[in-house]
Amino acid sequence: MAEPKKASRRKTRAKSTAARRNGKSKVEAALNNLEAQPAGTATPIGEAATPRRRRSRKLPAGLETVAIDMAGDGSIDRSTADGASTPEAPPPADVPLEALHQQFITEVNELIARLRQIQPAYNPPPFAPEGLTGVLGQAANIVPPEVQATLFDKARKFISEDMFDADTWRGLWYMVSSSVSMQTSVIQRRLTGEYETDEWGFDREYMEAVRPFFEFLYKTYWRVSLSGVENVPEEGRALLVANHSGQLPFDGSMLGMGILLEHPAQRLVRTLYATWFPTLPFISDLFVKLGQALATEDNGARLLEQDQLVAVFPEGYKGVGKLYKDRYKLARFGRGGFVKMALRSRAPIIPVSIVGAEETYISLAKSDFMAKLTGMPYFPISPTFPWLGLLGFVPLPTKWYIDIGEPIPTDQFPARSEQNLMLVQQMTEQVRNIVQNMILQRLSQRRSIFFG
Amino acid sequence: MTDKRVILVDGVCGYWGRRVAERLLMQDDVHVIGLDAEPPEEEIKDLDFIQADIRNPLLVELFREEQVDTICHLAFKESVRVSETTFDLNVMGTMKVFGAAAEAGVRKVIYMSSTAVYGAEPGNSAFLREEHPLNGKNGYGYVRDLVETEGFCSGFRGQAPDVILTVLRFAHIIGPKCDTPMTRFLREETAPLLMGFDPMMQVIHEDDVVAAIVHAVNRDAPGTFNIAADGPLPLMKIVGLAGKVPIPVLHPLAYFAVSLIGPSIAPLDLNYLRYPVVGDVRRMREELAFTPQYTAEEALREFAAQSRLRQYLPEESALAFDEQRLRDTIERRKRARELARQQAGPLAAPRRRARRTKEVVSPLDDLMFEPDMSADVPVMETPGDDAGENGHG
Repeated sequence: MAEPKKASRRKTRAKSTAARRNGKSKVEAALNNLEAQPAGTATPIGEAATPRRRRSRKLPAGLETVAIDMAGDGSIDRSTADGASTPEAPPPADVPLEALHQQFITEVNELIARLRQIQPAYNPPPFAPEGLTGVLGQAANIVPPEVQATLFDKARKFISEDMFDADTWRGLWYMVSSSVSMQTSVIQRRLTGEYETDEWGFDREYMEAVRPFFEFLYKTYWRVSLSGVENVPEEGRALLVANHSGQLPFDGSMLGMGILLEHPAQRLVRTLYATWFPTLPFISDLFVKLGQALATEDNGARLLEQDQLVAVFPEGYKGVGKLYKDRYKLARFGRGGFVKMALRSRAPIIPVSIVGAEETYISLAKSDFMAKLTGMPYFPISPTFPWLGLLGFVPLPTKWYIDIGEPIPTDQFPARSEQNLMLVQQMTEQVRNIVQNMILQRLSQRRSIFFG
Repeated sequence: MTDKRVILVDGVCGYWGRRVAERLLMQDDVHVIGLDAEPPEEEIKDLDFIQADIRNPLLVELFREEQVDTICHLAFKESVRVSETTFDLNVMGTMKVFGAAAEAGVRKVIYMSSTAVYGAEPGNSAFLREEHPLNGKNGYGYVRDLVETEGFCSGFRGQAPDVILTVLRFAHIIGPKCDTPMTRFLREETAPLLMGFDPMMQVIHEDDVVAAIVHAVNRDAPGTFNIAADGPLPLMKIVGLAGKVPIPVLHPLAYFAVSLIGPSIAPLDLNYLRYPVVGDVRRMREELAFTPQYTAEEALREFAAQSRLRQYLPEESALAFDEQRLRDTIERRKRARELARQQAGPLAAPRRRARRTKEVVSPLDDLMFEPDMSADVPVMETPGDDAGENGHG
């Protein structure tokens, strides 16, 4: 008798998998098998199996009732459960789970007995039903029933809808393989030198790759609010002059990001950086690839002659390495090199104030000894640096304001006025005062360091 | 011989001396004298060869007797280590040649130098002008010699104001035939680089080097000029285009190894792999009016294809199979013709036609184009050109 049973199971495999997909229990699948047996034997069992099937279907329904019952609204649910279930098994209010458990075991035992009547050689599989239900019951008791129910529901949905769908796996495979092949092709292309840079080393592809990080800093982390972007010309040369702060020169990147994101022409800002950075691995590489240049008068003048938008931070190390107590007090504006640059190439000077960057790191003191030891131009001591190591580099999420002021024209001066030292000094001081006033104006409106 | 300009090329047995002499011999308005300590390995046709050492005090008499008009001083020995013998030849030899030239009333002296004299420093501007101080002291022996000689050159300008001194500072020279530090660096399978550093670099094709020297012979341009191909490229891109596998090395480790073993283990001086040395070539374009034929990428592509094909085929024929090179060549000739038209103006066409019957020029060796010399160098003809001209004529 074992042979035909196996055959029938094979025949109805499709049906049973369909049943499993609908989230029905194994017991029910077995019952379906019995139903699908040859017509001669099917009639009595079909009659017998129908009420049992209905009852076994009640099992999850019973569980649900219990779950809702535990939630505190017992009577209504119990009544609906009573109305739906067979009269022999009304789930008692006190120990519903225990009762259900017992009921289930007796039902399964009855079922096995009936099966043995038809098929004397039938042996129940070793994992069912007492041992398995026992284990399941113990495990189930750990998790609260309402959670159990939702988990069960979720698992059922997940398994039935997505995991058995071949398209899910196909889609996953396409996604993984296409992204891998794209990245390897990019790496391969870069290794064989097939990419474009301009004469300064600016690499657009590289910039697009690191851009999301800076966009995150700009939009989410520091929530930069940029004003006066209309003062930056759509095309042609201009020199942005900003205050420098914040220990690490993030303000340069944020100014560049702001104009790239919010200026209608999406102009690239060429920031001039200090002489220390070319000695650093990776940083020097990054700066050059992002289109920045070393702060020399030659570089600045050449960039301006090429009608680029150049940004300078004339305070230099004195500004960026400011102590917290000196915040927003502008340091000396260099030796006026930026004014000479602007006069030489007749580029307008656009003052920029950056507020919020000062508080990203709280520098309490500077250590000359450590600066000498590490070769850094300054060595800040902050509540987190250098005590927390790399964690000390994490900046505080302050709220930033970047204000771009009105351009100061330089084309009204005669030729070679960059050699007029008085004029250079005067203009340097003028720009410094404008930037200082812009900072103070913004500070007078700012209520909170972190929320603006 | 009396009506011809006498050009003396010293170091004529060296690669550059030979190339320049061969190129100059194609011009029919000059008489070329070759000078070297030993006769050339391969006979140079029509060359008036004189065997002598450049440090010989009798050079003054030789220059005066031969009525030398221009000296191409190309005798230079390249050595990685600082050595007294090369210093003697490179620096003392130059001083003696220049001194003799001033004494004998030579009109013009041309000296071949390198942009390496600027020295790779963190404070270098992205484009170094010719006035930039020469800091390349700590480099290789030959860089030191060049800096030393260049220092002498600037003094020489003051001492002998009548002599036109043209110093050509070439970027890293690459090419299928020449042997320079850069070609040695790029011919190896792998390219050790400093991790996290990717300086901008310039290269120049060997044909353009010869063309620039010949250009300086034919045009009086006193001063110093950076000579480099269009487009400074990041080192990683150069290595990639040359088909090398980059091996990044931590820079403190690399510096330590060099200090331990010596500079010869590094293919190039480490600072040149770390900081940019890029010459500003505006003066080359404006004052010298010289335009290199090869862009940096073309030169590198040709170089890479050649070193790849050389494994399978003999040197000369290998390049004929490189399709990309032919494409680049067509592009390059087109550019040269465009430039010729722009510079020569409407009068160029009839003059060019008249010459065509007179001269036969080896097609591959004469790719270079000298804008002010359009009367002497025939521009290669194409069917399109011919049709246009015949139609008008």
